[in-house]
Amino acid sequence: MSPSQLRDRPPTAEGQAPTGRPARRRRPPSTIVVAFAFLAPALISLVVLRIAPAAVALSESLFRESFLRGGTVFVGLENYADLFGNADFNNALLVTLVFSAIVNPLQIGVSFLLAVLYTRRAAGSKIWRSLVVLPIAVPPAVSAVVWSVIYRPDGLGNSFLALLGLPEQPFLSSPQQSLASIMVLLSWIGVGYWMLFLIAGINDVPTELYEAASIDGASAWRKLWSVTFPLVRRPLAFVLVADTVSNFLIFAPVQILTKGGPSGSTNLLMYDIYTRAYTLGDLNKAQAEVIILVLLTLVVVAVQFRLLRSSDNA
Amino acid sequence: MNFLGPEDAATFAPVIKAFEAKNPDITVKYSQVPFDQLNSTLQQRLGAKDDTIDVYTVDQPRLSQLAAQGFLEDLSSLKDQTEAAVPEAQYSVNLYQDKMWALPVWNSTQLLFFNKTALDAAGVTYPSADPSERRTWEQIATDAKAVQAAGTQYGLLLEQVEAYYQLQPLAESAGGGSGITGKDNLTVDVTNPGWEKAMKWYSDTFASGLSPRGVGGFQTSPLFSSGKVAYFVGGPWDVGAFSKADVNWGVAPMPYFEGGSKATPTGSWSWGINPASKNKAAAKKFLEFASLDTAGNLATTEATTIIPANSAATEQYLPKLEALGGDHAKGLAKLIANENTETAKARPVTVGYIQFEEIMGKAFADIRNGSPVDERLKQAAQQLTDAWKQL
Amino acid sequence: MSSVTRTSISKRRTLGYIGLSALGACIGLLFLLPLWWTFVNSLRAGGDTFRFLDPLQWETFFTLTPSLDNYAALLSSDLGLATWNSIFVSTVTVIIGLAICSMAAFALAAIPFKGSGVVFIVVVVSFLIPFDAIAIPLADLFRDWNLQNTYTGLILPGLGNGMAIFLLRTFFLAIPQDLVEAGRLDGLGWWGIFRRIYLPLSVPSLIGAGLTLFLFQWQSYVWPLLNGTDAQHILGPIALSNLQGQFNVDYGVMFAGSIVLTVIPLAIIIGFQRYFIQSVTTTGLK
Repeated sequence: MSPSQLRDRPPTAEGQAPTGRPARRRRPPSTIVVAFAFLAPALISLVVLRIAPAAVALSESLFRESFLRGGTVFVGLENYADLFGNADFNNALLVTLVFSAIVNPLQIGVSFLLAVLYTRRAAGSKIWRSLVVLPIAVPPAVSAVVWSVIYRPDGLGNSFLALLGLPEQPFLSSPQQSLASIMVLLSWIGVGYWMLFLIAGINDVPTELYEAASIDGASAWRKLWSVTFPLVRRPLAFVLVADTVSNFLIFAPVQILTKGGPSGSTNLLMYDIYTRAYTLGDLNKAQAEVIILVLLTLVVVAVQFRLLRSSDNA
Repeated sequence: MNFLGPEDAATFAPVIKAFEAKNPDITVKYSQVPFDQLNSTLQQRLGAKDDTIDVYTVDQPRLSQLAAQGFLEDLSSLKDQTEAAVPEAQYSVNLYQDKMWALPVWNSTQLLFFNKTALDAAGVTYPSADPSERRTWEQIATDAKAVQAAGTQYGLLLEQVEAYYQLQPLAESAGGGSGITGKDNLTVDVTNPGWEKAMKWYSDTFASGLSPRGVGGFQTSPLFSSGKVAYFVGGPWDVGAFSKADVNWGVAPMPYFEGGSKATPTGSWSWGINPASKNKAAAKKFLEFASLDTAGNLATTEATTIIPANSAATEQYLPKLEALGGDHAKGLAKLIANENTETAKARPVTVGYIQFEEIMGKAFADIRNGSPVDERLKQAAQQLTDAWKQL
Repeated sequence: MSSVTRTSISKRRTLGYIGLSALGACIGLLFLLPLWWTFVNSLRAGGDTFRFLDPLQWETFFTLTPSLDNYAALLSSDLGLATWNSIFVSTVTVIIGLAICSMAAFALAAIPFKGSGVVFIVVVVSFLIPFDAIAIPLADLFRDWNLQNTYTGLILPGLGNGMAIFLLRTFFLAIPQDLVEAGRLDGLGWWGIFRRIYLPLSVPSLIGAGLTLFLFQWQSYVWPLLNGTDAQHILGPIALSNLQGQFNVDYGVMFAGSIVLTVIPLAIIIGFQRYFIQSVTTTGLK
């Protein structure tokens, strides 16, 4: 990935020139010194607390340790090769990709619509939207208990379906519905949070623009599509990337509710890593799996940046 | 001296207090780590030779691995004393390669609880608490169906629906053995006819609606307390909870398969010493008190209803447990004493136990949700063979 | 425009207002429902938690005999101390973390310099790395530095947050360059531009980033355990988890604890709501 692909700043001339010119006039410390003075605390903490331990993980993924035979041996990429030859790992990879392909557009779409809804003039919208944000604050263990009650055969979910005259569903105990059930739970937790960032973006859209569009007689949908959507593109880009990343790292609900089952249908990579490290006790291979997960996320995020950039130019 | 475990502080307060009274020069500081994080926390901190842990609780089936990793101090000098003080199964689980690595503190078993009101409604007779009148799974399933037909929501429920601890006796009773064989106990054996029979029966209880799918292991006993289950297989710790709930219950021995052997789960927690500890002498004193001393061992069970490992302590404890259950628990003391010595089948001692438990747990979950039994057991055997190759 | 169409427009406006309010209320209540159920059951004895599930009845969501016993039981647990510790650790993290992250984001968004692309890659990669996966090597490092069982050891991992930097940079990029130019003409240096122009214009995104930093610490669970935290430094989620025994779970008490741990972030979210109304353009151009 080249640096230029990661930058979504519009490549216009006015974008960068003004900050450069006065700097030359007054001869302050060169911009690179200033920039690094601003960056130093963050860079140090990121490198020491995130990148360095990750480098440890990377190096450990090249070794293999056996407590029965004792000692550690260098095995190169063998851990990676073993993983790709392992049916459970390949299944986890597939499940994770399917999961991401569905859950991200779903959550972002819903949070966008909610953000639009809760920025319209309406009674009590501040209260209602606080309720939508609320689940992010619930301790994960408790959300899992509550949703296991919802998804129980005699639970709240089926009671509501019965109220609507719909047939009983197996939810988490069916390989066909379990992943979707996890997605609903995660959306309950997450959409309010992502909505907050989009609300911050929508409120940046000058109200005059809406008024202008109203006078033109644009329909609500048209306004949404042609006025709001392009203007919140930047926060939307953030939400897209951040949501994608966090959905690659989903773990707690799987551990508490399904343990990856039934039949591996909810075995997301992060949970597979956890079982490999702590229950199967294969720390080195788990580290290799972490590296694969990070690379996978990196590729997906790079593609997203590229798409966002090309839509920028369009 | 620092002591680390997964229980809340109140559980161990009595034993710590009693120990400190006897040894005024030693103070014990207990810290709690939630059960779901205990293993990873111990792995990291013991691996880093953290000397702020002196004594820690050891889940008995994990003992071999911890010993093989060098995370436990050798306690072989206490072998003879221990063998004399506790039941055989509780002594041997602490051995790995002929050395003793921890002292047993708690023991356990499983019992068949039943809802008297529900059984009455269907005119089904109560099972007896007498071990010689133990019912078969086949009888219980038939009766449970009748009770269900008379209006009780579920016929039968096992407390830890997906746990090897709970399901091992099914396979043992059907003649399938523990599922592990071989010289080092590192050969899988879960595809034999006994295992298949037991798992097919288990699968059927869910397919026929006798047991509910989709109820997690941690919600099963509340389901019985609220009167929605006819027969419930659970532990002695449920006695305390059920006697507080308004359900009319009784207790009987855990069933077996017709024509098969009688088997019940056993085992619980031992305590061991961290080799990096700087207070090993004090730590050893504390272990001896909590396990080998009758009063000390009894003190560990003061706050939680669990069976003490020490035989003399068990003898004093069981009548108290029976009294706690009142009329519901008639015959409980005799029953548990019988199970401890006659039917207890310990989990296999193997360095590969953790992998075994995890992989079998997933297989049990899938079987419960309707996966074809033969295929799923074969898959589990394959996964285990792969996992054990790495050790 | 004729008066007829004007009244029909205003009529449609009122209808729209009512419709949107109702829709907003329904969705909000739907999101609240699972938590409301938790709250109601925190007022009931633990044994009754699963009693009123099927069929759906008014008692599923209400109780006529609320009792505070479960909350009283919390008093004898570590949850009180743990909540204070969590508040302390999270507050310090938010304050220092926001300072660090917003400075970095400013450098990436406003200062053109060689290598900013590389730095940005470091930032992005750092938040792709699952924290739980690096917690073990990190805990080994912290042990070498004697940071186990200290507040510093709890706070440090939360400070540099790649996602917060990324978020702030995104919003900083939207700040019109003519404002910066005007600041320059007023004689502001980089620090002045950052403090006087960027920060005041970015209140909503600073709150968003603060929330990200806050939640990371408020829910931290694996890290404090690995870092060897004793009873003095215990945090909320661990105290909550410690409430459930290995053999029996009292859901009444557990739900009461989780309500306590949920109410505090809720108060914060509601408290900061009004800042989300301000927009960069209105505050900036006034």
